[in-house]
This record gives sequence, C-alpha cells and structure tokens, in this order.
Amino acid sequence: MTSTAQELHPAPTLAPGRTILELNGLEKRYPGTHALKPVHLAFKAGEIHAIVGENGAGKSTLIKLLTGVMPRTSGEVIWEGKPTALATPHEAMALGINAVHQEVVLCRHLTVAANMFLGEEESRFGLLQQRAMVKDAQKIIDGLGFDLPAHVMLGDLTIGQQQLIAAARATVRGTKFLIFDEPTAYLTRKEADQLFKLIRRLKGEGVTIIYISHRMEEVFELADRVSVLRDGTLVGTRNIAETDEPELVKLMINRSIEQIYHKEHFTAGAAIVETKNLSGKGFENVSVTVRAGEIVGLYGLIGAGRSEFVTTLYGRHRKSAGQILWQGKEVQVNSEHDAIRLGMALAPESRRDQGLCLNLPVGMNLNLPIYKRISSNLLISGAKEKAEADRQIADLRIKTPTRHALASSLSGGNQQKIVIGKWLAHGAKLFIFDEPTVGVDVGTKAEIYRLFSTLLSKGAGIILISSYLPEVYELADTLHVFRRGKLVATHGFRTASHEDILGQALAEKQEKSGGQK
Amino acid sequence: MSTEAIPAEKPKRNFNALFGLTLLGLLLLMWIVLAVATPSFATTLNITNLLRQGSLIAILAVGQTFVIITGGIDLSVGAVVGFTTVIVALLINAGWPIWAAVLITLLVGVAIGLFHGFGIVKMGLPPFIITLATMTSLRGIGLLMTNGNSISINSDSFQAFSRGSLAGIPYLFWMVILVAIPSYVFLHHTRWGRYLFSVGSNAEAARLSGVNVPRTIFMAYVLSGLLAAIVGVLLASRIGIGNPTQGDTYELQAIASSVIGGTSLFGAIGSVHGPLIGSFILSTINNGANLLNVNTFWQRVITGLLIIVIVYFDGLRRRGK
Repeated sequence: MTSTAQELHPAPTLAPGRTILELNGLEKRYPGTHALKPVHLAFKAGEIHAIVGENGAGKSTLIKLLTGVMPRTSGEVIWEGKPTALATPHEAMALGINAVHQEVVLCRHLTVAANMFLGEEESRFGLLQQRAMVKDAQKIIDGLGFDLPAHVMLGDLTIGQQQLIAAARATVRGTKFLIFDEPTAYLTRKEADQLFKLIRRLKGEGVTIIYISHRMEEVFELADRVSVLRDGTLVGTRNIAETDEPELVKLMINRSIEQIYHKEHFTAGAAIVETKNLSGKGFENVSVTVRAGEIVGLYGLIGAGRSEFVTTLYGRHRKSAGQILWQGKEVQVNSEHDAIRLGMALAPESRRDQGLCLNLPVGMNLNLPIYKRISSNLLISGAKEKAEADRQIADLRIKTPTRHALASSLSGGNQQKIVIGKWLAHGAKLFIFDEPTVGVDVGTKAEIYRLFSTLLSKGAGIILISSYLPEVYELADTLHVFRRGKLVATHGFRTASHEDILGQALAEKQEKSGGQK
Repeated sequence: MSTEAIPAEKPKRNFNALFGLTLLGLLLLMWIVLAVATPSFATTLNITNLLRQGSLIAILAVGQTFVIITGGIDLSVGAVVGFTTVIVALLINAGWPIWAAVLITLLVGVAIGLFHGFGIVKMGLPPFIITLATMTSLRGIGLLMTNGNSISINSDSFQAFSRGSLAGIPYLFWMVILVAIPSYVFLHHTRWGRYLFSVGSNAEAARLSGVNVPRTIFMAYVLSGLLAAIVGVLLASRIGIGNPTQGDTYELQAIASSVIGGTSLFGAIGSVHGPLIGSFILSTINNGANLLNVNTFWQRVITGLLIIVIVYFDGLRRRGK
C-alpha cells in the first residue's frame, strides 16, 4: 500500500452535522475502580468537540476505548449507524479513528518522512523509495503550511515541531475522526497557531475532531461543543456559544475560578539571589533579583532563553560572563551540587525526563536530595527515611497507597507533587519552577499554587517559569519578559495588560515570521 | 457459565502456587530432588565442592549487579579474574609476602574499575564497549606477560586457603558471606546504594537532585573490578596457577546469575541476595548434571534453556504481584 500526496485529504462520506459516532452507555471498570461510568454521547461529523476534566476524570480512559487500545466493560459504540466492536487499535484505524498524543509516540531516530510513512512505506520491488517518500512527505508538510524539512531526523526537531509532524501523520491516513490529547502542552504560540489552522482545515473537510485540553482559552477558541467529565461521569455537554469559562470550571471541579489562583502577598525581604549581566549559552546580559517572600515570573516563548538562564544559575551550564550573588556574596556555581549546597532547588520542565525516577518508589524519589541528612555516619536511618517520606505524602496530599508504590503508578499531577515535594524537606531558600503545571489538572494546579504561598511564608523566594501567561500574570510579584535570549521588559504584579506582555514576548518573532529553516 | 468458570479457576491457582515459589525455594527443591535421585549429591565432599564452585561466580555476580543497577554492564570480569591470577602468581613467585601480593592484586582490580569509569564518564563510551575492550585486551596483556604459559604458584600456604574450611564450611564460601553482608548493607542501607538505583532509573533526575552521577558510576565499576580481583585471587589459590585464560565465560555466568536473581538489565532493579541465589542455582544445575551423568555438551544446552525458563517464570511471578 502506498500513500501519496493526492490521498492526503481524507474524504469523509458523511454529511456534516450527521452523527458519526455514538456512545451508548459506554463504560469501563478496572478491578477496584469505576474509571468511566456509562456515557451517552453523540459526536457529529465535522465538529470540533472539546473534552475537559481534571486528571483522573476519565478522559484518557475514554480515548483508550475510542482508539481500541483497551476493551470496554459494557455499552455500545455505533459508528456511522452500525454497532462496532472497536476492540483493537487496528480496527479503530481501519474505521478512520486516529489519535495524536501529548507525548509524541514516533521514532526519534528516523527521518520525518520515514515517520510519516511508518507502516505504509512506499516501495518498489521490495526496496524503499526513500527519495520519493521524502518528496511526498515534504509536499504534505508544505500543504499543511508547516515550515519544516522532511529529510531531517525527527529527534532533531523540537518537541512542538514533532507534535506537528504527529498531527500531519494522522491526517494522511484517511482519518475521519481525529483525537488530540493535550496537543499544545509543549508547543510555542506560533506552533500552536499552525496546529489550530490545521485543525480548522480538517474540520472544513468534514473530519470530526476531539480536542482534549486543560487550557480553557483554547477550548473557547476552537471548539463547537464541549463535554465535561468529572470522576468518570459525563457531567454535561454544552454548545460553546452558550457557556463560559466559570461554568465549565465549576462543572469540572465544583469550585470557583478565584479559588485556583491563590495569591497571597508577603513583604519582600532581603535578596536571596541576584544575577548581574549574566550571560551563557542561549541568553545574555540578564540581571534578575529574587527576594525572600516574592515570586519572580519569567515569561516568554519556548526557546526564549528562560530555561537556559535558570539551568545556568543552577550550575548545569557554565556562564560566559556576569556574576551570581547569593545573599549578597558573589559565588561560583559550577555544578548542580554547588547550587543545592547553597540552597537552590530546581523542579525541571519535563518530569519524565528530568524530574523523576519513575521505576523507583515514591519515598525514594522524595528523599533523594536529603539522603545525606537522614544518614547517620554511613547508614541511612530507616525511621527518618520513613518519617520524611510519609510527612511529604501527607503534607502534599500525594495520592499513593504507600511510599513504596512506584512513581510510575501515580497520575501526572501527583508525580508533579513529588518533583516539587522532594525539595521541601531539603529546606532550600530559592525554588525554581520550570513549567510546573504543564499537563496538570485544575485541582492540582490550585494545590501547587497554594504550596507556593507556603514556601513564601517560610521566607523562600521563587522563580516561576511559564509559557502560560495567566499563570505568571496572576502569581508573579515581578514579571520579566524574555525574548530571543534577552530580558526585554519587567512588570510588577498585574501592572501590564496581557496584550502588552504578549506583544513584548512576540515582537521580533512576528516581524521575522517563518524563521524556522 | 458457572460450570466453565470452576475448572478455569483451578489451574490458575496452581500457577499461583508455582509463581509463589521463590528462587530460594527453587534452589532448595533442586537440592532435595538431587539428594533423592543421586547417592553422591548429599555427601560432604560434593556439597563442599558445590559451595566452592558456586562461590566464585556468586562474588562476581554481586559486583555485576551493582553495575547493572546503574543501567550498565561489565563484560570484563572474567578477563579480570584471569588477569589477576597472573598478577598474584607473579608477585608471590617474586617473593612478595602473601598479604602484600593480594593487596596489590586487589588494587589492580580497582584500577581496572577506575579505567572503566573513566571511559564511560570522561570519554562517553557505552559500558558495553569499554568493558568489551578491556575484556579482550586484558587477556592479551596476560598472555604477553606469561608468554602463554601457566605460572605455577610456589606457595603452599597460599593454596591451602582454598582447601581449608571453618566450622565445616569451606573458606571460599565464607568469603561469599564476607562479601555479601557489607554489600547488602551498602546497597540497601547507605545513600550510595540509593544513588546507584537513582542513576539507573533516571540519571538526569538524579543529577538535578544533587546526586554526583559520575562518582556513582565510578563507584559501581570499581566495586565490580575489586570483586573480580578478589575472585582472581581465590581462583589462583584454588588451582595453584596463574593463567590469563582462566575465568573464561565467567562474565556471562555472572550476568546470568544476576538476571536469574531478579536484576533488571534496564537498571534500577536488583538486590544482593538475588544474584547469590542465582549463582548457586546455576552451579547446582552443573553439579547435578554431572552427577546424573548428563553429557557435558548437553549441559550447556540445558543451562541455557533453564535460564530462559527461570527468568520467564520469575518475571511472571513479579508482574503477578
């Protein structure tokens, strides 16, 4: 079987507005949990249907059932009027159901083109037609308006770009029903815009889109209808024009939106850390001060130099110029070890790659930075180890059966609590949070923000990096805007408008649009 | 429906009983079966012989496990054993006191471990490659040093050690205990043990948590090299010669013992008691096959098959939990 650019656009057979997929009491039980209570829902051909809900509300379960990854416990699935088993991923794909996942599940060591045609390679006499595939893949990518090369290794692209390729891949396979699971979690604004363009175009071609996201503004930007899941129950479906964010949030968590961004103001104390004209790989001339009791927000696009700045501050990379002052004294931070000894703590951006030892127990993850302290002489004190871990689990309300459970068995939000929690016992003075709420539900977000207040009240300072403007806007006492490695603007708490800040972060990018190659 | 459900239930329960059989249970079961099936198994001579045979691989397997827990592998240990038999033989024959000869030999093991750490941390070589390289080179260096000849060790007291026993248990097995207890404490009750696991699970997360990842990797390979040198000394004492070709395939037996003992080759999962039991399971298979007069060629085939079966069932048992 070969795919060519001509087959790029799927040809849905159903007129828009007709029901393409109907769930009739769809239900899933695991031993011990009722992951999805009977759902009755009809998806219309050519609609963008958003699904929102907290982590653990049953969204992933629903996706897994729809894509045939696991079998349902009971209920009926009716596809284009006919009941279907939908028991295997293969069956789902044959019907035209595809999914683009949050974490890209493609081969990093193959080219973009090879990934696009994976499983459906073009061949002649048993030999791969590599050049033809690159050409066709490039045609598809160009056709979608993505400015990306087809011949490079997938792993050489940013995660956001890989996500776009994953989306492009899903569109070439006669897709009629496409599920996006948190697609923008790692995308820059520009990439997200490209993705939205693609989604709208698919909709125009009659493809049904299921869009799952924690980001409300995206739901309102894209969706025609939205369904809300809470604790495995479908609590409501609304036309997007007839609802608003507060209503959805309330449906999701039974709590009002003001309670999420929990901001307490503390009087700022002495400076904990100060950088003077710090430069390094990816950023230059950055002067930032963090005082006790304040949150310093760093806003900018992904790749604007924020992460590079904090990892250099944390000793991961060498600075090329400038000074770091720790509590007024100049210090050399040559390794993470030095940073931790001074009293810095970093909760990194990617919890799977950098934050957690997934196949180790929760307790060990929590105690990793403090084993030195809970050892007397050579041996670890078992009692202290247990006490510290159990205290963190209780304080942070980490949902885990015991401290011996593996970190991988916890939900994303609870994993994030471990990443943050392991620094609390360590007693750090400066906490650096790099995108702490990516892929985390509203309820856990609120808990994480509350944690910030606890840290501040104990005299710590916080650097908060976020690509999600409302988050830094509502929380930061001082907000620095980064663009292309430079600190371009500084604001106080809520002293600038969203538009101004966004403009400052984007400015140059807009002038030089499409600088990707 | 219900009539179908009942027979379906029964074999499952039997399976559970089978999975519940721990590795130690398997080892004891093998001993009981052999004791009943052959007259010569349960004799003092055979048991002490079995303990001596298993001891060397057991010590190697512990070192190997430290390395595997960090997500690495040490293919050189067999070659280190052969090489260090030569070193200790040369030193003793050159008139060094035994304690000094042994000490220097152990330092050679440490140096080899440091070299592996250097290759992995500083040169960025994969553990498989750097230890594969030392595996072939060390044999070569040993052959160059000896011209391909065996060196007879002219010290009776050195050789007497491997023949001796205390409280009816051979010294060689006492050495296993002497290695195992500190190893257990090190792995499960010190922070360095925890760091081994954290590096094997996610080196980046460990680094960001303040774990000195390079030092941890050095430590794992140094321990493996040191334990291999200890085995080299013990083997030299047992066979009375230094010969660089000794210890052939020991690395593979050590890896097999470790894996039989539940160590994950992907890192971050492992223990000290597991590889110990694993190594004695392996040597019991060899010993039993000898006693049962199984063709030695077939023994290799059987050992391979049993490794597959044991690790498969152990994996099922763990996943079942």
